[in-house]
Amino acid sequence: MSKAVPQPVTQLIDALSRLPGVGPKTASRLTYYLLRAPDELSQTLSSAISDLKTKTRYCSVCYNITEDDPCAICSDSGRDATQIVVVEEPLDVLAVERTGAFQGRYHVLHGAISPVDGIGPEALRIRELVRRVEAGGVLEVIVATNPGMEGDATSMYLQRQLAPTGVKLTRLARGLPTGGDLEYVDSVTLLRALQGRNEL
Amino acid sequence: MHIEHLSLQNFRNYARLEISLPSGPILLHGSNAQGKTSLLEAIYYLATARSPYTTSDRQLINWHADRDLFSFARIGAEVISAKRVLNRVEITLTEEVDSLNGTRLNKEIRINGVSRRVMDLIGQINVVMFLPQDLTLVEGPPAERRRYMNITLCQTDAAYTTALNTFEKTLAQRNALLKRIAEREAGPDQLVFWNEQLTVAGGIIVAGRQRLLREIEIRARRIHHDLTGGAEDLELHYQPGFIVTANNSGQLSFDVPGLDLNRQLDAKEVAAQFMARLTAIQGEEIARGMTLLGPQRDELRLMVNGRDLGLFGSRGQARTGVMALKIAELEWMRDTIGEWPILLLDEVIAELDSNRRAYLLNRIGGVSQALLTTTEPDIFTPDFLQKSTRWHIHQGQIISMSSPAP
Repeated sequence: MSKAVPQPVTQLIDALSRLPGVGPKTASRLTYYLLRAPDELSQTLSSAISDLKTKTRYCSVCYNITEDDPCAICSDSGRDATQIVVVEEPLDVLAVERTGAFQGRYHVLHGAISPVDGIGPEALRIRELVRRVEAGGVLEVIVATNPGMEGDATSMYLQRQLAPTGVKLTRLARGLPTGGDLEYVDSVTLLRALQGRNEL
Repeated sequence: MHIEHLSLQNFRNYARLEISLPSGPILLHGSNAQGKTSLLEAIYYLATARSPYTTSDRQLINWHADRDLFSFARIGAEVISAKRVLNRVEITLTEEVDSLNGTRLNKEIRINGVSRRVMDLIGQINVVMFLPQDLTLVEGPPAERRRYMNITLCQTDAAYTTALNTFEKTLAQRNALLKRIAEREAGPDQLVFWNEQLTVAGGIIVAGRQRLLREIEIRARRIHHDLTGGAEDLELHYQPGFIVTANNSGQLSFDVPGLDLNRQLDAKEVAAQFMARLTAIQGEEIARGMTLLGPQRDELRLMVNGRDLGLFGSRGQARTGVMALKIAELEWMRDTIGEWPILLLDEVIAELDSNRRAYLLNRIGGVSQALLTTTEPDIFTPDFLQKSTRWHIHQGQIISMSSPAP
């Protein structure tokens, strides 16, 4: 960056370009936009960013991101505490919530087992899940990890860890997307769908 | 099978090319560095999603394309199968600027306009390519021979492609895990999942290679007999990485004759044996922090009259062996997919003596489409030249064409 650019400007450009999906060009554009925009915008933005970290925490029950502990779902007595959906990321909770079909509770692992990335089971919230199930009251654990190799590795590890508790373990069905066309589905997906077929 | 239309944009030294291809042999001639080989490379790339010449896809983007701006390359083709089914296949390479990792190359594959994975692409176009560097099949490291088996099998067997893909990902994860276990950051009980994945995929790979080699050997042997006037007898010795190395700490031995190709093992049998071996050497794998057994260490040796061609063969013998293997591959693929694959020959003809040249040209006479590069068209037989379409290539453009004599 040339000397003509004041230091506070470069500082923000550098910080923004560390965000995923933002390159140096976008970062500069955003920075100069903020310079020209009303003061109020940069104040809202900066307090929103600082609140993001200071006012959120992990829910001590399900480890989702929350403002109050326990989170809204865990403290909602209307929700079924006997069923837990286990997901990899907080965003996956939102995805399941959007279906509106699940009335139970969640557990967020914060990742999947991937030795290449140095992520072993101890880095995930697996111990916490086992403890939660051992504490009683849970009848079914629905494993909703992503259908890839890492998700499957995590799912198998969960199975082995939870087997001694005797809880009912299920996994999301895998196969054909709704609205899809059989002719255009790849063979791996079709094979999985065939293996996991349901009785009519 | 043949390619009806090829379209290139910013690919190698082609700024832009739209061309219809006739069936039969197409002879590409012109001086060096004009773009003859790049045409072959483009077709091979559409078939396999990888270049036969480079491991860096970035090199495929035209070096004249402006690097500061958005740079990209596009390769597309329309392929017609023997059953008259037309498919449009397209790969677009785009260089993206990412602030975290610098530039990143994005590869997008479309089949009939729909975005697809590499796995779905392979097999849409079947190719067999002859290259001067095929000699490394005999003289080079075992990885070359594994690549030969993989490229041939992936084009014809979707289950093999899936297994290979799973195997490679699992191997990387398992090696990382073994290292973590060695450093006491993880427990050996975590291996269970990866062992299962590795052995099931490994079983499919080994059984597939065994089947391929048996079927290739039958053909290669006959061709080799023809080429040597019956004086030499070619055999393929397949040495799977975990059966032959079971007793000697992961080191391959050239004395081992290899797996009996005629006793076909089924993928499940292989997987069970593989699992048993892995369990037996788990301690050693943990100590070394890596996977020591499996098809990633498979070896294939070419034997002529009972002697190892790679170790004891002359250069001429190696050439003959490779030629037999490649023609066998071409004919095997034809028999497997039920039609001729597209044949790509890069400068191979010039390296052969006149007898072998005549033999090869005769043997490939029936191919539905072949692209051959050469700097001197005169070395081809008059008969072959008469059948061929000739394109003169100069600086990334086709400057003249002549059709075969009627």
